[in-house]
This record gives sequence, C-alpha cells and structure tokens, in this order.
Amino acid sequence: MTDLWPRLEPLLTDAERPARYLNREWGCVYKPDAHFRFCMVYPDTYELGQANQAVRILVNVVNAVEGMAAERAFLPAPAFCDTLRAEDIPLFSIESCAPLAEFDVVGITLPHELAATNILETLDLAGIPLQADERAEADPFVLGGGPCAFNPEPYAPFFDAVSIGEGEEAVPEALCLIRQMREAGESRAAILRALAQEPGWYVPSLYRWRSEAEAQEAGSWIEPVEEGLPVRFEKRLFTGFAESSGWEPCVVPFTEVVHDRLNVEILRGCARGCRFCQAGMMYRPVRERSADNVVESVLTGLAETGYDEVSLTSLSSTDHSQIADILTRLNRALDGKGVRVSVPSQRLDAFGVDMAGLVAGQKKGGLTFAPEAGTQRLRDVINKNVTEDDLFGALDAAFAAGWRRCKLYFMIGLPTETDDDIKGIASLAQRAYDRAKAAVAPEQRGSVRVSVSVALFVPKAQTPFQWDGQITPEEAQRRVNLLRHSVKYKAVDVHWHDPSTSFVEAVMSRGGREAAAWVEAAWRRGARFDAWTECFSEEAWRAAAAETGIDPAAVAQTSYPVERVMPWSHVSTGVSERFLARERRLAAEGRTTPDCTFGACSACGVCPGLDADNVLAAERMAPAPSVAAAAADVAASGEEAPRG
Amino acid sequence: MADLRIFRLRVTFCKQGRLALLSHLEVARALERAVRRAGLPFAISQGFSPHMKIAFGAALPVGVGGLREIFDLQLTRYVSPEQALEALQAASAPDLMVKECHYIEPGAPAASVAYPVSTYRALLSCTPEHLPLVDEVTVVRKKKEKTLRVSDFVVGDFDLAGAVVTFSLEAKPTGSLRPDVLLRACMDAYNVLDAGGEPPVSFTPIANTSYEPVNFAEAAAADCEPCVSGDALHVVSLTRIDQRA
Repeated sequence: MTDLWPRLEPLLTDAERPARYLNREWGCVYKPDAHFRFCMVYPDTYELGQANQAVRILVNVVNAVEGMAAERAFLPAPAFCDTLRAEDIPLFSIESCAPLAEFDVVGITLPHELAATNILETLDLAGIPLQADERAEADPFVLGGGPCAFNPEPYAPFFDAVSIGEGEEAVPEALCLIRQMREAGESRAAILRALAQEPGWYVPSLYRWRSEAEAQEAGSWIEPVEEGLPVRFEKRLFTGFAESSGWEPCVVPFTEVVHDRLNVEILRGCARGCRFCQAGMMYRPVRERSADNVVESVLTGLAETGYDEVSLTSLSSTDHSQIADILTRLNRALDGKGVRVSVPSQRLDAFGVDMAGLVAGQKKGGLTFAPEAGTQRLRDVINKNVTEDDLFGALDAAFAAGWRRCKLYFMIGLPTETDDDIKGIASLAQRAYDRAKAAVAPEQRGSVRVSVSVALFVPKAQTPFQWDGQITPEEAQRRVNLLRHSVKYKAVDVHWHDPSTSFVEAVMSRGGREAAAWVEAAWRRGARFDAWTECFSEEAWRAAAAETGIDPAAVAQTSYPVERVMPWSHVSTGVSERFLARERRLAAEGRTTPDCTFGACSACGVCPGLDADNVLAAERMAPAPSVAAAAADVAASGEEAPRG
Repeated sequence: MADLRIFRLRVTFCKQGRLALLSHLEVARALERAVRRAGLPFAISQGFSPHMKIAFGAALPVGVGGLREIFDLQLTRYVSPEQALEALQAASAPDLMVKECHYIEPGAPAASVAYPVSTYRALLSCTPEHLPLVDEVTVVRKKKEKTLRVSDFVVGDFDLAGAVVTFSLEAKPTGSLRPDVLLRACMDAYNVLDAGGEPPVSFTPIANTSYEPVNFAEAAAADCEPCVSGDALHVVSLTRIDQRA
C-alpha cells in the first residue's frame, strides 16, 4: 500500500492538533502483512470518532480474523480537508497512512442523522466514486451500518451494502465472503448478489425504489430487480454479548478526545419503552454482562490502558440488576488509585442518586435529569414512566447529598403537545428549583442552579412516533418563546438547541431514497460537518431542496395514519410494526406500557422474532414501590444522557 | 501526619520521531498513563479531585523533539530504579521511551526549574553559507505583541556546522524564547535576503564552520547539499539535546 506519511508530515507542523494524524497510539494493532485489508471510518474528526464503540468493536473483530487487517480512518478537521485537497493527498488510514481507495473494503458507521454529508466528504476525499453504481472492479466495497442504517434509504445510493443491526458477527462474515469470492476472481456484481443473501445485509442497488402509490399498494417501497432476492431485512443480533468479556482492547489516544476513558459496556438494550426513542427500540432485547465480568473487565482494562477514568456504559446503566454490587466492588478495588468511575444514564429516582453518590466521591458537579415533558399527561403519552414525585425525590436526595447544580432535559413538539405542556416545563423547573433550595442549608442556597435544556422532537424511524410529523421551525420558535416568557425565576436558565439542524435530522430520519439526492446536492453546495454548529449551513440545504425538487418540509412534518407504509418498512429491528402501532394508540389514550425487564412481557415481538430473550444477570428489583416504573437519565456532570 | 519518607523518582525520557508533534499536555497525559500501566506505586494527591503526584520538566513546543526530557514521580514506597525502569519501559511507546531513572532528594528543585538552560539542535533543509541570527523576535502573548531580545536568551555560541544548527537558550522567570519561533524568524530572514530583499529586523550573520555533514544521526538521512538560491530554507527537525542548570 502507498505510504502517504512522507507527504503528510511536512503539512502537520501547521495543522491544528497534529496528534490526530500520528498513529502509534498505545494499543493500536498493525498487521502490515495481512493480504485482505478493511478500513473502518468514523465520518467526523478523530476527537469525535476515536472512542466510538462501533469502531472499537469492529476493528477488533476483523483484526481477529486470520490474514485480515483492520485500520481506522477519520475525517480531518474542515480546514485540513481543504489542505489535503490543495495538496492532492487522498484521505488516509491511521495505521498505514494508506489511501482509503487501496483497501479491499471501507466500512463507514452512520452514527447520527447529521453525518450524511460527511459520508460524501469522506468518499470524495478518498477518491472513491460517490455512487455505488459508478464504482469499478478495483474500487473498494463501501459498507455502511450503525444506528441510521435502520432507515438506510437516504444513504442507499452511496453504499454497496448496508449492515442492519449488530456487526460483531455480520461484518467478519461479510468480509470473509468478499475475500473468498475476490480470490476466486468473481466480479463485483456477483459478490454483491451473494452478499444480498447473507442475513442482515441489504444491497440497495438490487432494488428499485417505488413511487408513493406503488409502495402503498405493494406494502413495500422496494422492488427486487430479479427473482430470489430477500425483501425483508431483519437486524442481526450478537447473541453472545452477555457472556463476552466487557474488556475490549482499545486504542489510548494521545490527543484529548470525546469519551477519553475506558468504556466498559455493561449491558445492551433498554426496554423502558419511551415512545420517541429509537435506541430503546433497536437494541432490544436487554442483555446484561454479569457483575463478575464487569468488575474483571474494568480492572483489566485500567491496567492495560493506564486510564484514570472508567465509564460503565449502556442506555440505562443503573437499571443493571447488579449495579450496586458492581459499584461497591469497584470502589473497594480502586481505592487510593485516583480512578474516577462514571455511570451515564442513571434513573431518575432516589436509587439513581444513591448510585451517582457511590461514584462521585467528594467532587459533585452537576446532575442531569431528563423528564422530557413538563406535565404528567404528556409524560404518559411518551411513556416516560416518571412522576413528579420521582423527580422531586431525586432532587431532594441529590441536593441533600451535596450536589448544587442540576440540568433538566425536555423536548418540545412531542405529539399531542399543547401550550399547557410548555407552561408545565416552566412550572416544573421552578418548583424543582424551590425544592432544591429547600434541601440545602440557608447559607448555601445562593449556589443552587437549575437549568433547562430544550430540544426539538425529531420523529425517528422504527419508533411508535415514526408516523408523527415534526412541528415547523416557526412553531418551534413560538413555543420556545412561550417557555422563555413562562420562566419567571432568574436562577433558572433556559438553553435552546437550533431547530434548523433538528429539521434536517427529521428529514434524514423519515426520508426515502429520494432524500439521497438532497444530501448530495447539499454537499455539493458546501454542506459538511453539519453537526458542528459553526459549520451548519441552512442555506446549502435549502438551495439543495430547490435544485432537486424535493420537499423536505413535507418529509419532516407530515403526520400519517399508522397504516401508511413507511420508507423503512422493509427493515426490521425485531420490534413488530403491530407493537409500534399499538404503542401509538396507547399514546393517544395517555396509557403507559411498563418495562418488561421489571415485570410482564409487553409483546414487542423481539424475543420470538429474533429467537432471543432478555438476559439478566440477576432479577431486577425496583427499589421502592413508588418508583417501580420510574426511570430517567441522570448523568454525572458533563455526561450526555442518551437521547432518542 | 505526612509520610516521613518521600520517594521522588526522577525519570528521563525521549520524545522523538513523529511523536515530536505531540503537545506538552499530550506528552504529560501519555506519560501519566504509562506510569499507571507500569503498575508503579504512585502517590495520589488529596482533595476533591485526586490525581497522580507527577511533575514535568520545561515544556517542549509541538514539533520539537527531546533526547533528555524529565519528569518527577512521587512513589508511596521504594522500588529499585532498575525495577521501575523496566516496568516503565514495558509500558512506553518507542518514540516516547523512558531512558533512565534515579531517586532525588525530597527537597531538590522541581524538574521544571532545575535545568533552565536548554541546548537545541536543528537540521536544516540545505547547507547555507551564512545564517542570519535575528536580534529580535516578535511574539504574540495574550493577544499582545511583545518583542524579545534574542541576546537576552542565547547562552554561548550559536553554531552553524553544515546543515546543523546548535544553540542554547535560557528560560527566564519572566518568560522564554521558543526555539522553533527563533529559528523560523532566522529562516524567514534568510529567505528574504536570498530573494534580494531586506529583512524587517536587524540580524547578526553566523558563518558556517563546516560544509561537511556533522555526526548527527538525522543529517545522514537528509539532503545536506549546499543551498541553491531560490529554494526556501526551512527547518527539517528540531530537538532539545540537553538540559542543564
């Protein structure tokens, strides 16, 4: 492979943070002699992508295959992208500093909806044709996967194949198939046809995209171009998750990155069933690694990496049936070592605060709670099984235990929301502030801070709210203004997330294959790094809509009856469409559905459909009857709670 | 109350190859992690956010390597220097390798102030006949321009031998002159002169003492031909080769 380092090195002295491009980090695996080469790309900068779980897991599983090498690649920061173009240097991998185009297979993870233009930026910088049907025999296969693959259509033309679900087994299997057929001299087309028959792999080029009328008539938007192709794509599930070690060898970066710490995934899946949350639908069933596994993994991982912080990751870590045991044992084992343990996504009740207290030591920054909605009515609609008593109980416990700051997350524009629900956010935040003040000594009350963070609801594919339109940016602005005017306390800050990016997210989440033309037109007009506030160009996206004749507002904002066939109906998370429709009806009635890991089965369809079961390390016990179903995301300071 | 016996280990390491491009903060973090991986009984500070008791010597800029860089590590019990060295080496990246360690007195000056004089060696892209050593360097500190007199910082001779420049700078309590900034100013002045112009700052010409490549590992690998007019002179590599009191 070509080594681009000699050309890259002279440019690095003037580059921002050259450590992004250096390679040779502790723990990175380099297999120069492997004949078959895979490059795993995170479509954003090293800082944002290095700690990504998909990158870590897939690089490890591919490197474990005899004769295969996996390398990593990231997009350079915007200015350095331009430098590479000016110097005619193609995008390179970290380990070999080799052009992406020289790899056999390039995998790109789709972490969120705002990464779409960065996929095109990646392919273009790499010199790989943007459209799968323009690629020649010598070009790498471009594979996609990750959360956004559950509606693959807006990305479909850019990928040779898309992996649906968990890739621990699916990715090495596909690579072995490609290697074997390439060695046998098979054509690209033949390889893709074979891949299309593999479980969990979708090859978009083998399916024609139907018109709205055809799709509604046929019950699916895709039509196979020939006989014998699958028409439904069920997600792959890594059934060995619970037994597998929580210590996954990882790279220790030189430069500071997001989530720069040992990350040990202690459980996968969340069955709380918040109706807006895609993660809660797509990672089912719930699988816990045992306390023994977790504790051993943490200690091994810390010794191997030298990190001074470990995060016990999952969608709802304090729901782990053995979390108290895990934290107690870790505290004992790590005493005097100056290691911080963090637990993101704790539940919103006194137990969650107790767990936060177990790991916070003497340093108590802020706590984050996510009630999501301001009134009980709306919390019932979204199935956020949290009451005001839960929230206030958590606040009492937190402020009595020494925390002084708390952040409350809400969404606006949720289905059925009225102005009363908006005013309810203000009321709840103010009462939370009163409550927090009452819980601390009078001389410390001045330091009590409550802030409210508001994001616009984004309807997500594969959720009970997939049929619900997003409110318009103008209406969103009106509701935010109403909220601002309703908050009377100076000590309660309101933060507000830009609605124009949420609009693009909604289009990407709900769009069909036609949205891909919109993405490409926006990228050609300069859109890239859309998730970076300073880079987002609303104008590029608007002009792209005018140019391609696409009506993004209709895609984002139209509400449909649950009978409508949606553009991702051929892709399944294992959760049945019937369950989603039933949940949507229960939402309309304001009725909640409990978490099946604490009680009865809610018949979502995942276990029978995927021939799997929840795997719990022990019985899950609700700590007190009043909070039996209470859950929310509490995070230690600086930790983002997972968002729908 | 406090430990009566304090074990202060002074560790020498190198920063070289492409890892010369790490920042001081990145080096510090990488070494702290190496200490943890080595499993040494490091001491932890008390207080709200406990951290390792480790102290680093004078910082190197991004892009500048070092052959004898220093950090001091406080241990809670005695480990023989040989054992500590072995453990640290097993836990270190080749281009950020620990070279040597020994115990120092509990009251010895900190690594950051013990060695104010640093000697640097730079390899240039070609061999110039003369090098203009600028008399002043203008730097921006906290958004304010500040002019530093080079002679306040240079210790001893500024030596040009072939394509290799060797010089020493002294750190002052009021601030330091960065070696890369100084050299860049000299390169700029050289290139302006080469183009027939007049540099914006006054300078002292340094004559080349030798056209022969000196015994310097990197010189062998580089192009040390005499400079040809029109080719911009630049620094290929810059390394701190020694630090002293």
